[in-house]
Amino acid sequence: MLRFMANRLLLLVPILFGVVTITFFLMYVVPGDPVLSLAGERYDEETLEGMRRELGLDRPLFIQYLNYLGRLARFDLGRSFVTGRPVSESIAERFPRTLLLASSAMLLAVAGGVFAGMLSTWRRYDRLGRPLMALSLAGVSIPVFWLGLMLIYLFSIKLRLLPPSGFGGGSLRYLVLPALTLSFASMATIARVTRAGFMEAGSGDFVRTARAKGLAESSVMAKHVFRNALIPVVTIVGTDFGSYLSGSVLTETIFGWPGLGRYIVQAIMKRDFPVIQGSILFMAVLFVVVNLLVDVSYGLIDPRIRQRGA
Amino acid sequence: MSTLRCSDAFARRRALPPVLLILLIIMQSCSGEEKRPILRLALQTEPTTADPAHAVDYSSGMLVSLTHSNLVRFDGSGRIAPDLAVSWSVSADALTYVFSLGAAGFPDGTPLRAEDVVLSFRRLLDPATVSPRWWVLEPLRGAAAFHAGGTFDEGCLAAPDSATVVMTLGRPAAHFLSLLSMPAAAIVNSREAARLGRDYGRAPSGSGPWRISEWKEGEAVILGRNLYSADRGGNIEQIILKIFPETMTAIAEFEVGGLDILEIPRTELEIWRTAGAGLLRQEELRTSYIGLNNRKEPFTDVRVRRALNAAVDVETIIAKILFGAATRSRGSVPPVLKGGGTGPDLYPYDPDKARALLAEAGYADGFEMEIWQRENPEAGRILEAVQAYLAKVGVRARIVTREWSAFKQAIDQGTPDAFYLDWIADYPDAENFLMPLFHSSKTGGGGNRVSYADAGVDSMLELASMTGDADERARLYGAVEERVYEGAPWIFLWFPVKYEAVSPDIEGYRMPVIQTGVKFTDVSFRAR
Repeated sequence: MLRFMANRLLLLVPILFGVVTITFFLMYVVPGDPVLSLAGERYDEETLEGMRRELGLDRPLFIQYLNYLGRLARFDLGRSFVTGRPVSESIAERFPRTLLLASSAMLLAVAGGVFAGMLSTWRRYDRLGRPLMALSLAGVSIPVFWLGLMLIYLFSIKLRLLPPSGFGGGSLRYLVLPALTLSFASMATIARVTRAGFMEAGSGDFVRTARAKGLAESSVMAKHVFRNALIPVVTIVGTDFGSYLSGSVLTETIFGWPGLGRYIVQAIMKRDFPVIQGSILFMAVLFVVVNLLVDVSYGLIDPRIRQRGA
Repeated sequence: MSTLRCSDAFARRRALPPVLLILLIIMQSCSGEEKRPILRLALQTEPTTADPAHAVDYSSGMLVSLTHSNLVRFDGSGRIAPDLAVSWSVSADALTYVFSLGAAGFPDGTPLRAEDVVLSFRRLLDPATVSPRWWVLEPLRGAAAFHAGGTFDEGCLAAPDSATVVMTLGRPAAHFLSLLSMPAAAIVNSREAARLGRDYGRAPSGSGPWRISEWKEGEAVILGRNLYSADRGGNIEQIILKIFPETMTAIAEFEVGGLDILEIPRTELEIWRTAGAGLLRQEELRTSYIGLNNRKEPFTDVRVRRALNAAVDVETIIAKILFGAATRSRGSVPPVLKGGGTGPDLYPYDPDKARALLAEAGYADGFEMEIWQRENPEAGRILEAVQAYLAKVGVRARIVTREWSAFKQAIDQGTPDAFYLDWIADYPDAENFLMPLFHSSKTGGGGNRVSYADAGVDSMLELASMTGDADERARLYGAVEERVYEGAPWIFLWFPVKYEAVSPDIEGYRMPVIQTGVKFTDVSFRAR
């Protein structure tokens, strides 16, 4: 397992080099000039040239690239063109908020999704199972934007129970609506996948064997069905959590949540190169690490995968 | 029976801990907070800086004007009023300005001196500062040369004593006081600005009525009182500038009492009007237009440009898409300003006339064109309507959408046939519309993005900017406005009108003509 992890971590080097290089050159291919965002509505060419000089954008592209790599080697992500603030400071400030929202949403999604999935399997033919599955279908289809606004309307404006927006220093009541909104689609997917997993695993030969050898139904469910049904759920958790960690632009925008997603989108709009490059690099590291953790957890859940990996 | 119900409910609660959790949250949210005089305002975008030399966007300009003072400022009606300067005089040749400063101080208690004014202005002009707004002080003698790397003309800007500033211009500039009222001309604590360099933008030290007490990135900027400011009116202790990228959320926040002043989006106006909400109304110093590339065929022909103006039913677009929140423009300068267009409508909706003009210009079968817009749902709706009107006279318009940076680059380079854009004034003066938008020297990024060139207009604009007599100046600008309107370099659209809802707890607030005209020191919370 350790060798597997070390190999995966070593893979980070070429992946990150690729991300850094592609992101850097992509910035210069797309239309739009960063100094135009800084210059405002009225400017002259000399001012633009002065700005380009100050930001180092007047140098040959390859020299800029080498300078960038040199800065990265010193763990320096640079300063935002727009605010002048170090990118690492902004990421350090915003990432914990994104992590809080992403973790809460994921927790809700897993708890709600697995519970709903199990319930709808056990009671698949009655009045509870079918509506649950219909709800999960709606969950996958409802746009986040609409759901967020509806929750604000209901819980903030009509019932006056929860604040409509803001971070509130991370307090629970500010977290509930954005976390619920963000979790909804994942919750629905997890519910559907859990149900499918349970039905498939439940009809497997190994389950029939377990029952035939006289194991209690609770043991059959916990040791055989549950563990096997969980594998696809872990995959969904891994990919969704990875994307949540890079910021959920729509949820953050609706609820005024000051996370990474909005930070990156604003940077893209303003062609704030250091912010885009730094954030994407950070996200790439996160994604690789989360996926590594998912792979490790496969091994923990299913010994066959562990043995194959070894 | 009741005992049974009770235990039943208890068992249910034990079985459903999430319900308890929700109840807890509800109880927590119901605990009322003590009402303090804190003014909560919404910003759609986060300020990028509070440094006067680098603030170019609306939010940053607002933050600069709240935290800094200028020599003079705009009042709520857009007139020049004293700020740091309690009085000033102008020489007979309109070249020398002498300002007498009153008492004021920076948040750290340092008194503001005339030297701070000199150093602030020198900082703005210094090429090392790389300020995109250095042009605000361009009328000063030798300013452009200094900015281009020459030596500073010490005589153009002097502080003979700690309470007097003398400035000398290279040529008369009737709008000079307006320029001095802009955020870029705000006075900084020169010692702090030199110490902090580029970081001054996050930790400014101005002599305005407010100081930044906390900047929560992406969330809010919290302002407390500057105890050393000369402007200490009103009873507000704190201003929270909350950032709401989504307007619907800002509306929800206002409805639950989390905001005190809210700009109502046009799409929501009907609902607020129907609900009988008393809204404040203010015509904006802003003009919306479809710029026609005056250098490109077929827009080089004035008949084609006039035809396009006659082809679009602007009044209907205002009524249906803007919900009446705009005034049809008859020129580029809002009528609230002296020199603004108030003459007859030269281009009433008349598709037959448009077709006749096109035929006369040799385009009886119409032509194809592109209209560019930045990504914006309202702009999309407007241009779709324009597209349909143009189609009726045979002009096949294609709408091209780009995000802001790419859009701006294209229109500054004169690539598109036409584009939809707004021009927002920096100061309430016809000069701030006509000079950048139509003087040939401002082609491209200077503001004249349609490449309009008319030597007669150029010379009238130059003359007007040097004319001290207000009536004569207004007459000259009126003449320019008329000539430009007749030449139809744009499809003239409208001057937007802004609406705001204000919390009943607030008194003394009036919508300013220009945003820098409000410092919230004449606003108070009502006594309860």
